[in-house]
Amino acid sequence: MFSMLAMQPGYLALSLAGALMCLASVDGARTALRSLIWVLPLSVVLAFVNALAVTTGETVLCWLGNRPVTVEALCFGLCSGAMLSSVLLWFKSYTVCLDSNASLALFGKSLPTINLMISQTMRLFSQFIKRGKEIAAVQLATHKAVSGGTSFDVRSKAKSALRIVSVLMGWGMEDGLIRSASMRARGYGATKRHTTYVRYHLGTADKVVLGILMVLVGVNGVLLATGGGAFEFYPVLSGFAPWHNMVAYGALLIVPAALKAREAWVWRT
Amino acid sequence: MANVNSAAVQVNNYSFSYQRADGSLQPVLQNVSLELEPGAFCVVVGATGCGKSTFLLSLKPELAPSGVTSGSIAAGGTALMREGVRIAVSQEFSAQTIGFVLQDPAAQIVCDTVLQELAFGLENLGMPQNEMRRRVAEVAHFFGIEPWIHLSCEELSGGQKQIINLAAVLALRPQVLLLDEPTAQLDPYATRQFLNMLSQVNRELGITVVMATHKPEEVEPYVTARLELGETAEIVERDALQSELARRKCERENAFLDNPHAVGVHNLYVRYEREQPWVLRGVNLSIQQGTIHALVGGNGSGKTTLLRAVAGILKAQRGSVRKIQDCSQAYLPQDPKTLFVCDTVAEELAEWRTLYGYDKSDEEFWLSRFGLAEYAELHPYDLSGGQQQKLALAKLLLTGAELLLLDEPSKGLDADACAELVQLLQELVTEGKTVVLVSHDLAFVSVAADKVSMLFDSEIACTESTRDFFAHNVVYRPPVRSQLYGMLRQK
Repeated sequence: MFSMLAMQPGYLALSLAGALMCLASVDGARTALRSLIWVLPLSVVLAFVNALAVTTGETVLCWLGNRPVTVEALCFGLCSGAMLSSVLLWFKSYTVCLDSNASLALFGKSLPTINLMISQTMRLFSQFIKRGKEIAAVQLATHKAVSGGTSFDVRSKAKSALRIVSVLMGWGMEDGLIRSASMRARGYGATKRHTTYVRYHLGTADKVVLGILMVLVGVNGVLLATGGGAFEFYPVLSGFAPWHNMVAYGALLIVPAALKAREAWVWRT
Repeated sequence: MANVNSAAVQVNNYSFSYQRADGSLQPVLQNVSLELEPGAFCVVVGATGCGKSTFLLSLKPELAPSGVTSGSIAAGGTALMREGVRIAVSQEFSAQTIGFVLQDPAAQIVCDTVLQELAFGLENLGMPQNEMRRRVAEVAHFFGIEPWIHLSCEELSGGQKQIINLAAVLALRPQVLLLDEPTAQLDPYATRQFLNMLSQVNRELGITVVMATHKPEEVEPYVTARLELGETAEIVERDALQSELARRKCERENAFLDNPHAVGVHNLYVRYEREQPWVLRGVNLSIQQGTIHALVGGNGSGKTTLLRAVAGILKAQRGSVRKIQDCSQAYLPQDPKTLFVCDTVAEELAEWRTLYGYDKSDEEFWLSRFGLAEYAELHPYDLSGGQQQKLALAKLLLTGAELLLLDEPSKGLDADACAELVQLLQELVTEGKTVVLVSHDLAFVSVAADKVSMLFDSEIACTESTRDFFAHNVVYRPPVRSQLYGMLRQK
């Protein structure tokens, strides 16, 4: 959340580190490291794009034709990349932690239709791919004598691929008709009010952690409002936020990793 | 005559016709009457296209087809139609009084996990959470599906999915349960399990069951009432055909004794992924030209995998499949919809015209032979399951292939169509073609096939002529009574 609010290098660096740590503790160090594969190039690309697009700034690195490439612009690009990557990493941790059941419980009561759309899309995506492969394989299985053979130039391949996609669409819609009949037969759309089956329990430990999080968020909010927001990229890099802001933010980010560490300690063999 | 309140289902002179685009009427049902007491098990029989589905759909308000109607219907104690005019019923009431299970096991499932699927109907009605939990627990316990609760619905087999569908409908506690050919797509073992559960539901819970099927011999032990919507084939014992079958088998065996081998499978090893166990382990098989060779075996024994390896769709990790040089082949997949790429039946058959060199008259011949001539302008998906099977077969037969590989060719076919198929296959092999088929339907295999190979434990357990194979089996035999025998006796 704070990753998006504060365009501060310190904040962003911490946010990125925090997101990586969270992902590592939730899904394993390997996934976190693997995600670096796209995080780093993303930041670098954004940095270069920004450097080429924006020409304000004091310290000039080099000249590209008559456009100066400035350090400030590069930094801004890097920071934007870092911001985007950290937000995406946080979302990745979210999907790992909360499965479809939990999402349903969160949003089911208020947005049943959208929820349904999302859950159906996720379910049927892999089914579509399997079917597509099957259709292609079956088309090849019926053939003339081997010596005759069929010509497989690019155009006919593309045409058959398009055809397979249209068949998949038709088939999917046909299934959709059956599914909607099954839903209507079981009362879908009967009442506006929807209840959910799964019950989630808020225990004391959960409440304590929630309390700590609230406090940290509050502290950070105050610090951000007073001193952290006024970072200037152009014309010169200036306005770094004071170090205690960093400490508070760091504390907030460490919470998920700390929870996991405590769990690992409790379950140690 | 019992009044509306005491009969579970009451239908009086119900007629239904579709209205075509030009205004003319296409009659489907004519003056159908039915009266069922609570707790009855009624089976609706009739050949394909006689209106079984239409009748059942008319009994469920949300799914009722639109057309010209007359007569009256009452179900679950409430009138649904009086003198041809539909009476509005709240969706909540309908969901909790009349339950409906459709034919396709996979397409009916809405949710990700089994638990969510069972709770789906209850959630729709806004039931309080305690009530919901209690009902789901009850239904799961009744069907014994507690171990499956957290499984993803995609992982289940067809039979298991259909049981989940039944359980999900029963969680709503309907008084009347309507089922439209629920076992048409299931193998015999899954069918038996499903029908067992259904009969338990009927007897122990006292729910009135109305089920449409094209194989009434499967439900014979449970049925208390019967509705015939058209001519049905007679169920005949196998012994009546015995002498005829034996004679034909002898003739056939002499015919292909010296034929060369069309397909040779040597030491075949197949598995889908590196970490998975072998699906086929050292399979050796040889199939003679001009024979109908059947592959049988239980669920997951690798029959379809072997057929696909012979077709060349699957690459074997070890071993080889050798076919006669210059052999043209045709493959019928388990789901015939996989073959359909066009928008109308006629276009579908014309698709490979230039590629295989047949002409329009051939297409028309096969259309009329399979009884699909009147459906030529329909979309393939608008046909019933059995008709789609026939269309797929017609498409493959038009190619004039020498080697036919058919996966469950008799699935969804009623007795008449099945008997036709047997005759057709026999004609094809006398012309010199080779047919390899995979089937669960032992009645069909015992009548049609020349040789049978049984797959067990990822290997071919034995390959024998049909006569020898079924003579020595005690459990794995064709049913004693079947409509198929009745139809064949007529031919």
